[in-house]
Amino acid sequence: MASLAKSKVGAGRDKTFYAILIPILILFVAFNTFPLITGFLYSFTDSKGYGDFNIVGLQNYIDMFSDVRIGNSYLFTFKVAVVATILTNVISLMLALGLNSKIKFKSAFRALYFVPQILGALVVGYVFSYFFTYIVPAITGTGSILASPEWAWVAIVVVLVWQSCAQTTIIYITGLQSVPEDVYEAGSLDGATGWNQFRYLTFPLIMPSVTTNMVLVMKNMLMVFDQIVAMTSGGPAQSTESISYLIYNNGLSGGQFGYQCANAVIFFILIAVISILQTRFLNSREEQL
Amino acid sequence: MATLSLEHIGKKYPNGFEGVKDFNLEIADKEFIIFVGPSGCGKSTTLRMIAGLETITSGTLKIDGRVVNDVEPKDRDIAMVFQNYALYPHMTVYDNMAFPMKLRKASPEDIDKAVHEAARILDLEKLLDRKPSALSGGQRQRVAMGRAIVRNPKVYLMDEPLSNLDAKLRVQMRAEISKLHDRLGATIIYVTHDQTEAMTLGTRIVVIKDGVMQQVDTPNKLYSEPVNLFVAGFIGSPQMNFIDAKVGEAAGKVTLTFGHNTITLPDSKGSVLKKKGYVGKVVTFGIRPEDVVEQHEHDKGRTLSEAIDATVTVYELLGSEAMIYGEVDGGQISAHIEATNPVRTGDKIKVAFDADKIHVFDKDTELAIVH
Repeated sequence: MASLAKSKVGAGRDKTFYAILIPILILFVAFNTFPLITGFLYSFTDSKGYGDFNIVGLQNYIDMFSDVRIGNSYLFTFKVAVVATILTNVISLMLALGLNSKIKFKSAFRALYFVPQILGALVVGYVFSYFFTYIVPAITGTGSILASPEWAWVAIVVVLVWQSCAQTTIIYITGLQSVPEDVYEAGSLDGATGWNQFRYLTFPLIMPSVTTNMVLVMKNMLMVFDQIVAMTSGGPAQSTESISYLIYNNGLSGGQFGYQCANAVIFFILIAVISILQTRFLNSREEQL
Repeated sequence: MATLSLEHIGKKYPNGFEGVKDFNLEIADKEFIIFVGPSGCGKSTTLRMIAGLETITSGTLKIDGRVVNDVEPKDRDIAMVFQNYALYPHMTVYDNMAFPMKLRKASPEDIDKAVHEAARILDLEKLLDRKPSALSGGQRQRVAMGRAIVRNPKVYLMDEPLSNLDAKLRVQMRAEISKLHDRLGATIIYVTHDQTEAMTLGTRIVVIKDGVMQQVDTPNKLYSEPVNLFVAGFIGSPQMNFIDAKVGEAAGKVTLTFGHNTITLPDSKGSVLKKKGYVGKVVTFGIRPEDVVEQHEHDKGRTLSEAIDATVTVYELLGSEAMIYGEVDGGQISAHIEATNPVRTGDKIKVAFDADKIHVFDKDTELAIVH
């Protein structure tokens, strides 16, 4: 009898779990999985996003490789992503070391450095657009770098790094807090202080946080979109056109729906492969704790 | 190896709490000094001040005559074994032990030689390639010890190094540490709250309570001549019996009366009490369980006091011997008895004290009057 009663309770609980899970699953499939599959199918067509279309097989994929505009967008995106990922991680780690030390007003500083995280990317983009267009030129007496095809990408990097440091720093602080205090104490007796402490103790012990941050930031940077919309709209002279922006712009309003779907599929595969490679490489350097 | 000198060492925290008060101690070369006391008594704080992990807020610390109050931990030439071992989790056993030498830029050959020598002493040779996570508690403990040995420091500091081990391993490692002390001829300062460890390992023991040093002495002397009630109660397991009694005088002999019981003190002790003017006053007397003789036991030639009545409330068989806990008029008493003794819980028995082993303490100051 006891076991019967127990299984009844178990069945009731299962129902609750299903009731929680299934609606979310339906929404996820409807607005994520289904569009993904349709997008994949459209990539084999010459659809403009409206009206009739023909199946063109792999033609879109073949054309992509000789498309200079797409090539440039990949170059720009990877340049920005690599530079921004490195800068974000270096700056965040330094901030985390400072914010994890025994200083006054530590909590206030931590809160302050977290503010960029809660602001929308578009808002930040517009604020920095104003900053680079009016304030910086007023101080330096030069033109806005947003108007320079050679230097506009630097402005994008600055905004990306400024905003992504918040979350990255938090992850590094958590990592630093997980290093046991007595390891540092033993180190201080063994002679590991200052740079030696960081090199031999701190850095190897926060390697899991480094992996997480490198992968997350790299992925986010590769998908840069909002900041481009807010600051440059891909200009000047298409010099800041990121892959996501190109897919959105030409796919939805440029009559290249099928073609940009093919671009999106390639981009999706590329990000997945990079994330896996990164995780593999960094995991191998993570210490077995 | 080295001598240490702690002169009026004190630790006052920013909130005003004094963790250690006016600590004075001279430690000779090759001594095995034990800091013992209950949790929070300041023994670890003192050790950490010697290590340089805590700042000394007053007093002077000298190692080999050199004042080291403001010297960095790494420049004090000391090694420490931590309670949780504090091994570097990302390094192999070999690298853990080599690390201090590597940072001191020793040659790879010297490092290799020192690490293998330490590994041989501690029986770690087969574990050199392992990470700490793949080691048992006892093995980690030995690696921590090895990391200290490789350094060949002036002083070894050990902060409750055995407290995370199980009982059997603890006894084994205790013997290992004792052997190590003989082999290395090192000056060791060892913190523990376990008085058995203190008694078995130390050449001298420092008993600390509430940040104040109570007594510094050899294990033997600490056991037989505790300076106050705290030391008498802390050292020895099971604890010394304490009973409040009134000092009296009858037929020229000094007596102690508690409840309806009166016992006569030997002249050597009685005369001291009399001279110090305790006759007519209430004192606390102490007697260790092994000095309480139950009527069935052999007196082994000891001078026994008058027998008093007791009722056994608890009987504990320990193996070769047993403990009994009982009520006497005016107090409680525990006694060691032979395992063959037929006494059991509920029995009414008679016990006598080894009169020469009675300790008498002042009830107010808690200081020992006579041993």
